Amino acid sequence: MRSSRLWEGQSMSEILEWHGYFATFDEQALMIQSPFILEESITFGADSDYTTMTIAGLHLLFSRGIDVTKIKSISLVNAAAVKSATGVTVLSEDDSEDETCEWNLLVGEEATLVFTNDLERDLSFHGRADLESLDPTFAHDMAAAWAAELQTSNVSQGAYVSEAAYMEGANARLSFMAQSHDDKIVWPPRQMDADGQRLPEPNQPLMASATVESWTKLSAAGAPSEFALRAPVLGGIQTVFVRFEQGPCGVFLIADDEEYQPEIGDQVTFVVRRIYAQEGLIRYGMKAVPQRI
Amino acid sequence: MVDVAVIGAGQTKYGNHPSGLKGMWAEAAERAFASVDRDFEPRCVDEAFIGSVAFGGAQLGNTAALLTEHSGMDGIPVRRVENACASSGFALRDAWMAIKSGQADVVVAGGIEKMNDLSPERRRFWLGVSGDTEWERLAGLTFPGTYALMARRHFHEHGSNHDDLVNISVKNHMHGFENEMAHIRKEVSFEKAQSGFMVADPLTLYDCCPTSDGASAVILAADHVVRQFTDDPVWLRSSGAGSDFLALHDRPSITQVKATQQAAKSAYKAAGITAGDVDLAEVHDCFTIAELMATEDLGFTGRGEGGVFAREQRGVLNQGEVCINPSGGLKSKGHPLGATGTGQAVEVFKQLRGSVEAPRQVRDAEIGITHNVGGSGATCAVHVFGRDRA
Repeated sequence: MRSSRLWEGQSMSEILEWHGYFATFDEQALMIQSPFILEESITFGADSDYTTMTIAGLHLLFSRGIDVTKIKSISLVNAAAVKSATGVTVLSEDDSEDETCEWNLLVGEEATLVFTNDLERDLSFHGRADLESLDPTFAHDMAAAWAAELQTSNVSQGAYVSEAAYMEGANARLSFMAQSHDDKIVWPPRQMDADGQRLPEPNQPLMASATVESWTKLSAAGAPSEFALRAPVLGGIQTVFVRFEQGPCGVFLIADDEEYQPEIGDQVTFVVRRIYAQEGLIRYGMKAVPQRI
Repeated sequence: MVDVAVIGAGQTKYGNHPSGLKGMWAEAAERAFASVDRDFEPRCVDEAFIGSVAFGGAQLGNTAALLTEHSGMDGIPVRRVENACASSGFALRDAWMAIKSGQADVVVAGGIEKMNDLSPERRRFWLGVSGDTEWERLAGLTFPGTYALMARRHFHEHGSNHDDLVNISVKNHMHGFENEMAHIRKEVSFEKAQSGFMVADPLTLYDCCPTSDGASAVILAADHVVRQFTDDPVWLRSSGAGSDFLALHDRPSITQVKATQQAAKSAYKAAGITAGDVDLAEVHDCFTIAELMATEDLGFTGRGEGGVFAREQRGVLNQGEVCINPSGGLKSKGHPLGATGTGQAVEVFKQLRGSVEAPRQVRDAEIGITHNVGGSGATCAVHVFGRDRA
């Protein structure tokens, strides 16, 4: 039932599955769309939004050899997260009056984005890919949980990651930037070694795939307070412990597929998704998806 | 160098304690003072170290000053020691060092935590407090999750399995059943422990310690003043400590705890013993997998053989070569974070003096150890106690 195009009247590539989204592109445009549908409308999955989709789209442009340094966008996108994840500066319409920007980011009415360098082109969103239906109750409960979590009155209990602490680690979290030190790759970044030498600034990206070495699913009751509202909707929180090829290990939540039960030895890759919201701000980070996606 | 003895020790019952911080501490201190064979007054104490994570918020700052004020020790040098669940293990170490250094003759080491007085709105305060906040916590992990990762990896690398953990749970509940101070005094069948509610796959409710209130205190004395207080001291022969990376993902292996290995190695060496000399061990079994790995890291069995050790019941009271957690451990006795380390010392003190409830007395016990771990293994203190001075 999947159509061969995301929208009608355009001649673009075959639809590609990319970072958990559908995408299609040509030389002047890239369209990226959520794979989920709810009551006839394309909708975001449990932890996606326009920011995560923008990051995925930029990575697709990079993978095609297209160099993007600035992009003109609208306020629905978190510019700081995009910058940390991709290095691309997101200019708002106000910011960019005096700046030229080759690429523009257009947001569709539904969970769809278009990157284009040809604003004269007629792009209309008519077609649909074969979309996965979201359970209405799940989608409603998840949306309500995110809305409650985004309230400024919602704060963590116990331990707490301040916005400043989050931003300090944002490059490592969103772009896997690691340190190269004594012939080893260090990630997450570390400050000082046993010789008293400060480690260099992270400047080497980890390969974005890894092997599962362990995993668990924590019951909703045991979740940290950052996840207290969504964990019951998800039926718990699934985490994998992985080892990257270059040596470092990390722990990551699973993205999108709540049914996926990892096994030790599975290969996973990573996509940027929402982690949680705190004090009115969404915190983004990498989540793991099985390599097959 | 001066030798250090334990001359008294006491604790509250662990569990949902009706008193607040001040009342609990006074109760533990009172019992410790009363356990000294000859008259003992708090004014004899030169210094005190009190472990507490203190995150419930009751008295976040200057906890130790408040508590000593309410136990007749006002005016002495005091401090709170915080190393997560190993807080009072390190308080004990600090107290031991204060006497070893010659700065003090009589020192109190203790610990306290009040965990069950939080309203439902605050009930997640204790979750994920002492793990790696920026990375582990934001991957959804609290300690059940981190220990579950360790368990699954141990199963994979060494062929251990969940039934091995069930054996540990059953054993510790059996030991704790007779302990009047234990939080959960009920025996658990193998079948029941096998089929518990899944908390963090593969760990079930019966693999996890309870959330307990409690306080504990031990009184240490320098060798030249011991006879003022008792003719029957227990000697604190050595203190070892170690640390490791806070987050699991920074460690070379997640199926062993380097901090425990370091602490045990230095404590055994200083005491002039080997693991084979130990008659009883109060082991930090916040989760059953923690005990399984500790039996390896403390040298009671070989690397990767903790599952077999549990399967063969080698830690059961008066059956195996060493009794693991005669008190019931954290699993049954309870785990009031900051109180746990010195609570373990209370148990070893009583075991070595033959004064625990008769059904759970370790026969012919000469040497006992305590093993107190902070978090998932970022810190660890191991202490060796003996009937003999050396």
